[in-house]
Amino acid sequence: MACLHDHSCEDHDCSSDWSLYKHIDIPKLSALNEAVPGSVKAVFKAWEQRLNSSEGFLESNEGDPELIVFIPFTSDVKIKSISIVGGADGTSPNKMRAFINREGIDFSDAQSMQAVQEWDLAENLQGVLEYQTRYSRFQGVGNLTLHFPDSYGGDTSRIQYIGLKGEATQLKRDVIATIVYELMPNPSDHKTKSESGGGMSHVE
Amino acid sequence: MVLEATMICIDNSEWMRNGDYSPTRFQAQADAVNLICGAKTQSNPENTVGVLTMAGKGVRVLVTPTSDLGKILACMHGLEIGGEMNLAAGIQVAQLALKHRQNKKQQQRIIVFAGGPVKYDKKVLEMIGKKLKKNSVALDVVNFGEEDESKTEKLEALVAAVNNNDSSHIVHVPAGSSALSDVLLSTPIFTGDGEGGSGFAAAAAAAAAGGVSGFDFGVDPNLDPELALALRVSMEEERARQEAAAKKAADDSSKKEGESTSQDATMSENVGTSASESENKKDDMMDDENALLQQALAMSMVDPDTTVTARDTDMSDAAADDQDLALALQFSMQEDAKDQSDMGKLLADQSFVSSILTSLPGVDPNDPSVKDLLASMQNQPEKKDDDKAPKEDDK
Repeated sequence: MACLHDHSCEDHDCSSDWSLYKHIDIPKLSALNEAVPGSVKAVFKAWEQRLNSSEGFLESNEGDPELIVFIPFTSDVKIKSISIVGGADGTSPNKMRAFINREGIDFSDAQSMQAVQEWDLAENLQGVLEYQTRYSRFQGVGNLTLHFPDSYGGDTSRIQYIGLKGEATQLKRDVIATIVYELMPNPSDHKTKSESGGGMSHVE
Repeated sequence: MVLEATMICIDNSEWMRNGDYSPTRFQAQADAVNLICGAKTQSNPENTVGVLTMAGKGVRVLVTPTSDLGKILACMHGLEIGGEMNLAAGIQVAQLALKHRQNKKQQQRIIVFAGGPVKYDKKVLEMIGKKLKKNSVALDVVNFGEEDESKTEKLEALVAAVNNNDSSHIVHVPAGSSALSDVLLSTPIFTGDGEGGSGFAAAAAAAAAGGVSGFDFGVDPNLDPELALALRVSMEEERARQEAAAKKAADDSSKKEGESTSQDATMSENVGTSASESENKKDDMMDDENALLQQALAMSMVDPDTTVTARDTDMSDAAADDQDLALALQFSMQEDAKDQSDMGKLLADQSFVSSILTSLPGVDPNDPSVKDLLASMQNQPEKKDDDKAPKEDDK
């Protein structure tokens, strides 16, 4: 279900719509099978910069176009639609599968699991295509995992921009977290004002 | 201090009976595994390590990734040697074990000890390597035991396929006089991609090599500055004490011997317990030598046998309890009033005085100022009252 922009949009209007990137928890962004570790962070930016590849782009490893992108949010969001700008020469992904609120999905999981929604992508080099979601299934999204199984014939997959349109609800998701408490005190975590120039902190 | 979950793949095939690594290949491997487990858990307390065997009846996971070092060491006991090493299956099972780790934030790493021959094709191993790389699992291979051209080539290809940004390594350990663990200590497998190394590795390396490798006393000054400082200070004091003791041996006075050892005992004791005060003490030794000396003489003159240890304790504890100090002051004041005559006689005894001096750490009897003091001491026994004053500003 691809929709074309049928109005001459002013950048201002569109950019405010595609503002969910502000609610992404950037340090926890990760991708699997990326050629350059950490390059996934360059893919989430403002609408105006979607074609600007100066920060780099996300590319998969040589000979293997499969990619998984894990996107955690700082609060629960509702996702209305997704836009992908791929690379040239057949390096655009041709299919996208989305999973919600599942952490640690790797390739074997992604291939065997039923996705929440799947799309066939077109080569969208100008970033004017957006893919709508089944909105009812994308309410209360704490994290989103996108799986790109294949490209348009290229050796690798390249993604320049991922845009998310929707609303942020300001609600934090309640997680049953496996919290690991401090097993051993680490002095550098407990810098106290030393009383007499470098005194050892006492534990009474 | 990378947060990591590690699976160690042990080779318990027939080839491990060989004795070309002392005592046997298997024992050397076990020692290396113990060392690695210790290093991993020490570098970050939230790291987990698991162990599996690759040979025998089949690949068997002995312990799933855990941070409990005791469990890991215990499971290494009673392992049977036999069968053939199944490298591919071992790595795949390790990958599966890591996939189901409890803390998903940990990085995944597999360490393989490849002793026996490798029967898989290079292509198969490269495929496995690519799969590991795709799932961002790092791999370290320890190539020891059987020396084989094709084995080395295959393992190199495997690590090259997995390697992503220098996170995977391969180490070749030929048979020789040095133990497997010692050779591994200096490799990136222990030092963790050259991020500065864990203190454990550095200390162990120092102990193994018999020399100091970067850190004095096996303690990292970055990790524990107070301990490093205290150790250094006590080392210097010990050295000074030994010099003084050597000189005193020529003076041969058994009574002084008893005194000095008790003094030394309290001195070293205080260094151990008051690490924060070691800095102050060091300053005292160097700067207020003369003032200290005068006090020492004065206090020891009062009652050489019983109160000398108490006095020295009082004096050495630079930041000692104020109450104790006040009490001692009072006490010594009273005593001084009484024992004028005794003091005069004792001070006159030059040999006694000089032996006291030599037994004090940080005091060099040949120092001209000390000699002057000795001379003046003999002439003016009543100067001791002035000595009480310097004690106050000895903070």
